[in-house]
Amino acid sequence: MFDKILIANRGEIALRVIRACREMGIASVAVHSTADADAMHVRMADESVCIGPNSSTDSYLSVPAIVAACEITGAQAIHPGYGFLSENANFVQILEDHDITFIGPSAAHIRIMGDKITAKETAMNLGIPVVPGSAGGVPDFETARKVGAEIGYPLIIKATAGGGGRGMKVAKDESELEIAFRTARSEAKAAFGNDEVYMERYLQKPRHIEIQVFGDGKGRAVHLGERDCSLQRRHQKVFEEAPGPCITPEERARIGKICADAMAELKYIGAGTIEFLYEDGEFFFIEMNTRLQVEHPVTEAIFGVDLVREQIRVAAGEEMEFTQENLKINGAAIEVRINAERLPNFAPCPGKITQYHAPGGLGVRMDSALYDGYKIPPYYDSLIGKLIVHGRDRNEALARLSRALGELIVDGVDTTVPLFHQLLAEPDIQRGDYSIHWLEKWLAKTYG
Amino acid sequence: MTKNSHDNDVAFIQALAELLNKNDLTELSVVREYGEDDSLEVRVVKQATVVHAAPAPVVAAAPVAAPAAAPAAAAAPAAAATEDPASHPGALPSPMVGTAYLAAEPGAEPFVKVGAQVKEGQTVLIVEAMKTMNHIPAPKAGTVKRILVDDGTPVEFGTTLMIIE
Repeated sequence: MFDKILIANRGEIALRVIRACREMGIASVAVHSTADADAMHVRMADESVCIGPNSSTDSYLSVPAIVAACEITGAQAIHPGYGFLSENANFVQILEDHDITFIGPSAAHIRIMGDKITAKETAMNLGIPVVPGSAGGVPDFETARKVGAEIGYPLIIKATAGGGGRGMKVAKDESELEIAFRTARSEAKAAFGNDEVYMERYLQKPRHIEIQVFGDGKGRAVHLGERDCSLQRRHQKVFEEAPGPCITPEERARIGKICADAMAELKYIGAGTIEFLYEDGEFFFIEMNTRLQVEHPVTEAIFGVDLVREQIRVAAGEEMEFTQENLKINGAAIEVRINAERLPNFAPCPGKITQYHAPGGLGVRMDSALYDGYKIPPYYDSLIGKLIVHGRDRNEALARLSRALGELIVDGVDTTVPLFHQLLAEPDIQRGDYSIHWLEKWLAKTYG
Repeated sequence: MTKNSHDNDVAFIQALAELLNKNDLTELSVVREYGEDDSLEVRVVKQATVVHAAPAPVVAAAPVAAPAAAPAAAAAPAAAATEDPASHPGALPSPMVGTAYLAAEPGAEPFVKVGAQVKEGQTVLIVEAMKTMNHIPAPKAGTVKRILVDDGTPVEFGTTLMIIE
């Protein structure tokens, strides 16, 4: 096992890793920019190193600075957290060359999943379902009819050269195909000077369902069920829950096994997330994140596991502590992301925290690097905390979330807390009935 | 007196000392009323005395804070009295995290010694990061007044390496 780990990150996720290190008896090294000299992760770690100026390009994203910090402190391994260098294959390659262990997957796996096309091809080869579509351009209507029958309706016809919604037409069934196909082609011709189009199954109200996977790098892998992260604004998740309110145990077992088997075949090491669009019982691969996710605590809550501890263990060459058989779901968990942002436009709102009070009590977890008097610097992400609640069932978790949000005090800056009070009053949220479009539509309706 | 207000007092005195230096003043006195029987009285005076700070003598006059009278101020250690090399106008901060070396290789003559005259752009030491030797140039011509790191010392971004004026 490692004696000392460097955390190449800041904010709540740096604290998350420091906490796991402390419980494992491993010394922790915080790195920080000049703007973060007074940050909580610097205060909480056993050692700290200033690695650069305010700009993250020259500090948290600077590979030479982080490697040098590792060398002067004698840290044997680096935990990248999420964001920053966590999915940078070149960084991982350099660490391998410097005999520093990266607590995460191999550079090769990061590279494969970091490229949209190779990721999709790899997923297909591993038996992971992807959105059905034509293999390439569809030259004429006769071919379009054949392809349509294969991939199923509704489908969408898109310009190969396209973008921005032009040259895109939806056909709900075969009777609409001919008009849709011909207008898509003429629009594509007019807009892009190229009338080549391709076809894909069209998802109307999909949910974002992601499967947590974990591998030991030696061919053993498990899944830890799903998280529903459909509530998003501009592709940013704001509210995540596990288990997914619409996923049946059978669906979970089926897609979970596909994902775990795929990771075992890849000999994937550590934590990963396979993201899907889900509609009417079908899963369609979007991408794979080769790292710990922001929303990992909801999975930890329902399975009673410590994913960061497990990441550190397998990175050190130890055995995975869990097996598929002993991973059992207990209750329901919800996470909300507290951002320093002003509603309704979600404008970033840096500033000084005049008072911070974290909620507590049964089933409440607050992961945050805030403290009284802390100044949120304007240079980084606006996430200032994650409130995670766990209940025996979804209704208990919802009630607990409402109660805990009421206890939370963050004074001095605007936050997204009022949004969650409003969401909890919505019958759709209470029922768990929402798609990836729900939040954007609700925001447009509520705030105009 | 809680630790927090003690820290605030120290910060307040430090801010006064900086104000004194920045505006080229020689004396500044302030009384802060916090409440009944709770006040802070501070007098900050700059004297033309020579303060000796290890390892090398400092020629420049250092700002001296003289916290007076009030118990709160008395409890504050002479924090502002110790000179911070980083605030020195001739301070050379490390542009990167790494290991500082004073000579090109072990056993060789150091690039510069205290008292040496340096030209702008002349290499005064090396900071090694990721096996790369980064030559650190003198930001301006002058005399090396202090060398604040030993050969082979780990340095952070911003660590004061030398004072050149």
